[in-house]
Amino acid sequence: METKHILSSFDDDLNKLNNSLLKLGNGALDQFEKCINNFGTQNLEDIEKVVGADKFLDDLDDKVQKYGFEIIALRAPQAADLRRVIVALKIATIFERIGDYSRNISNRTKLLVEMKYTDLPGVNIGKMGQKTQTMLEDVLESYVNQDDKLAIKVRNSDVRIDKMHTQYYLEIVASMQRTKNLAPIGAHLLFIAKNIERVADYVTDIAEQVYFLVNGKVLSDVRPKADETSTRIPD
Amino acid sequence: MSDKANDFKSLDLTVGDVFSKEARLKARNVNVYYGDKKAIDNVTIDIGNKEVISFIGPSGCGKSTFLRCFNRMNDTIDICRIEGQITLDNENIYDSNIDVVPLRARIGMVFQKPNPFPKSIYDNVAYGPRIHGLCENKEHLDSVVEESLKRAGLWDEVNDRLLSPGTGLSGGQQQRLCIARAIAVSPEVILMDEPCSALDPIATAKIEELIHELGNEYSIVIVTHSMQQAARVSKRTAYFHLGKLIEVGKTKEIFTRPQHNQTEAYISGKIG
Repeated sequence: METKHILSSFDDDLNKLNNSLLKLGNGALDQFEKCINNFGTQNLEDIEKVVGADKFLDDLDDKVQKYGFEIIALRAPQAADLRRVIVALKIATIFERIGDYSRNISNRTKLLVEMKYTDLPGVNIGKMGQKTQTMLEDVLESYVNQDDKLAIKVRNSDVRIDKMHTQYYLEIVASMQRTKNLAPIGAHLLFIAKNIERVADYVTDIAEQVYFLVNGKVLSDVRPKADETSTRIPD
Repeated sequence: MSDKANDFKSLDLTVGDVFSKEARLKARNVNVYYGDKKAIDNVTIDIGNKEVISFIGPSGCGKSTFLRCFNRMNDTIDICRIEGQITLDNENIYDSNIDVVPLRARIGMVFQKPNPFPKSIYDNVAYGPRIHGLCENKEHLDSVVEESLKRAGLWDEVNDRLLSPGTGLSGGQQQRLCIARAIAVSPEVILMDEPCSALDPIATAKIEELIHELGNEYSIVIVTHSMQQAARVSKRTAYFHLGKLIEVGKTKEIFTRPQHNQTEAYISGKIG
């Protein structure tokens, strides 16, 4: 509801929480976008910047946790206010984790650059990253606009990332089998692909929280999944 | 009162399930007027057996007026007029042959401000059983007083001074004495009109614990301005606004995802 509370300081507290959360969400998006770009450009200076900026997200997460805790203790929020606080606490931690994955991808990219990495056939990490980045952008938009339809669309699009992950996993393993001494590079690529797939999973978690925020109930249907990397033996 | 038991016009307005499978009290299309002013507008609701239900809403919304309809306390107000039907176990409590004195024993009431009689603690509790002739002898009366004080959680604090004035107790103790007085006549329903508004948090907690325990034996209707109290003590909550019953439902639903915008606004502190 757009109407304001009688107690304006309650609105101030909720706005403070929301602003920190959005700053965190946009920060996580920025970090992820940069780490995917850097994977393509292989610019070591830019890669280092992503690694160094992660603390900023950790601090914002701490702020959101503190503000949310205080609102629960002092304001006893009800209904939509309560959902807003609970959802903020949950998705702040998810954004912070996305920041962690971005840092991890950047660290591995740095090593790949040092190992003179070149593209493997059939593997397009950049494309997988960009699609995940679009999901992250959309889920942030769904949160800001409380758009549960967009949230469901984001959630359902995760299956494409799962399929790409499965495909790239098989291609990377095949390349490692074919080419001598490719194991170190292949291992890092597997981790990077897996990290991106995890980020997409986290985005779907946020989408489900947006749905709960808007409707006050959890999505009851089973999330579509297509990641076969943990159930399939490569040829 | 006209019989409109089958005319549920109010359901067009009220969100949620107003009915109860094991209803003791049934209000159907109840309107209450103070002179020309309509204070309650076409309210239909059931009060279930052994359920604790809270009535919430802004000041002047009619929740206390509606509560007082259940034991005909509004009869004492000359300009008050009531339409519709209220039944206790399917018996119309506004029927011309209903005696309000035994009715008010069956449907007891606890008020906002503790109001013990200017009598001893013992006599406060014994008063009802005496006037209703519920006890055969002194020993029986003693046991009813003791049992009532125990169930009201007060026995351990007063058993050594039963002949002291009830008005000498603390506010919280006086309110529990009033609850003991109400349950001494074995009511079926207890109405509570903001029973903790004059009490500190510890006394409030004791009353709330008592409501929780008494809810296993009686139907309890509590009017409260405290959202947290409604959330803590009741299984169902009904939200009133400008004399209308806006929404009724399970308390955990009302306080987590109310269906009506006005309910949401009120419990979130957006309308007063």
